[in-house]
Amino acid sequence: MMYKIVMFKGGVYKFNELKETVEDIGGFILQEMVMQTETMMHLAFPEGEEQRIRAKAKELGGKLKGLPLAGTEIMVVVPSLGGHHAVYPMCDIAEFLRRNGAITNMMGLARGVGKRIAQMTVQEKAIIDECDAAVFVFGNFKECIEEKEKLCEMIDVPYIIVGGPPDLDLAHYIGGIGRRTRRMNRKGDIDKLEEMTAAFSSVLDERREEIEEDPLAASPLFIKEMIEMTLPPKAGEEFPLVLHLDGLRVKIEEEDEERVRDIEVGKRKLSEICEIEKSEYEGHLLKILPEAVSGGVF
Amino acid sequence: MEEKVEGGDEFANRSYERVCDDMFRDTGLTSNIDSVHMYCNAAEHVFIISVVIGRAPSPVKVWDITLREGNKLRITDEKYAPKLLALLWDRYGERVKQISRLIIELELTEEEIAKLSDLIVYDPREDLTSRIFDGIDRIIPEGARVRYPMPSAEGITIIASENPIAEEWKEKAKEVMSEMTSSKGGT
Repeated sequence: MMYKIVMFKGGVYKFNELKETVEDIGGFILQEMVMQTETMMHLAFPEGEEQRIRAKAKELGGKLKGLPLAGTEIMVVVPSLGGHHAVYPMCDIAEFLRRNGAITNMMGLARGVGKRIAQMTVQEKAIIDECDAAVFVFGNFKECIEEKEKLCEMIDVPYIIVGGPPDLDLAHYIGGIGRRTRRMNRKGDIDKLEEMTAAFSSVLDERREEIEEDPLAASPLFIKEMIEMTLPPKAGEEFPLVLHLDGLRVKIEEEDEERVRDIEVGKRKLSEICEIEKSEYEGHLLKILPEAVSGGVF
Repeated sequence: MEEKVEGGDEFANRSYERVCDDMFRDTGLTSNIDSVHMYCNAAEHVFIISVVIGRAPSPVKVWDITLREGNKLRITDEKYAPKLLALLWDRYGERVKQISRLIIELELTEEEIAKLSDLIVYDPREDLTSRIFDGIDRIIPEGARVRYPMPSAEGITIIASENPIAEEWKEKAKEVMSEMTSSKGGT
């Protein structure tokens, strides 16, 4: 079943009714934040039920915004974490992806600078491949970008290269976001960032459809809820469970690992329908097996 | 400050002109630099940047940043307080006391107090070169770590690359440098 993920923004008045509606139609609350009289929620619900949610949101006087990148983890890769790439454009890109629902990580390569000398280690590649997609942020010289494209080719997950020169004949390339010294808050800059988001959203949609054709044993959203019921989030923990398109990143203590393995999902245990391995970067990675491999959970 | 960037394609030149402008403004050097000339050759990965130093601000003296009140000094510009105190303690030792945040008490003779006026607290020329180097560092692409500085009377020229620097680039740097100084003489 395909889920649609949207953000609800509105007042606290009767917003519990919206939560109940979401739960009634078999949806999930992914994130919830109540700030005095304002609320912000990320909701996931089956695609066919959109009308009911829209009607409810309208009744409550709130706004719904589609999150095309929700439920994915995207890596923002820069040649180094030095002042040449941070703060702009690296943080602008990450912020924009987050506004569209993605969870972002930032990565500075150990030896990513330069043209001939640029490298990516095996471990760095493995960490990038753990995410759903990656964006490589390069500079303003066309010769360097063409050379560095070879680094990106090793990556298995979908990726986008952003750089300065507006027209470069490279695959997955978006120009106009190169090295800069100012925030990307002008109209033209935002258009570029939107172009990048659209490119991500189309490539991730393709991946979603692929998964739909060979459905997973259970949706990552459902497994997230199951884990949260057994291991409620601890105070001060931020995003202990990160959604991927075909699994989850679970940030748990060592001693809780066994409990996670034994969580019951329908009639099966989590360890039976998932491949669980330690992440190179943070926490554990749960890769949900296709239903055809593991069998159904009910 | 004038910037000129050449050698790359049109987009690269234009964007690096902006980078030069913003970086020198960030480091507060715009008024101390006459002109910047950058040569970018990304294909060979060589970057030459030549800076002609203009006038530096005049030195800051004790009287510029303090007011005398009898045998006390009131600091009027707190930014220089650490440098001023270090200077006075170095010269007069315990005869100078900081009795509150902005007040300094002097146990000095009239003659010594009169001499204070000539003491230089901070000379911007001292660290101008290092500040310019800092600015250049922020402009040149990070990968170009092999550096070849060529100081001259008028300013600083640096060749940067990721490869060993060949003679031809030193020649090119001299060319860039002489072009700069001749254009300066012409105006």
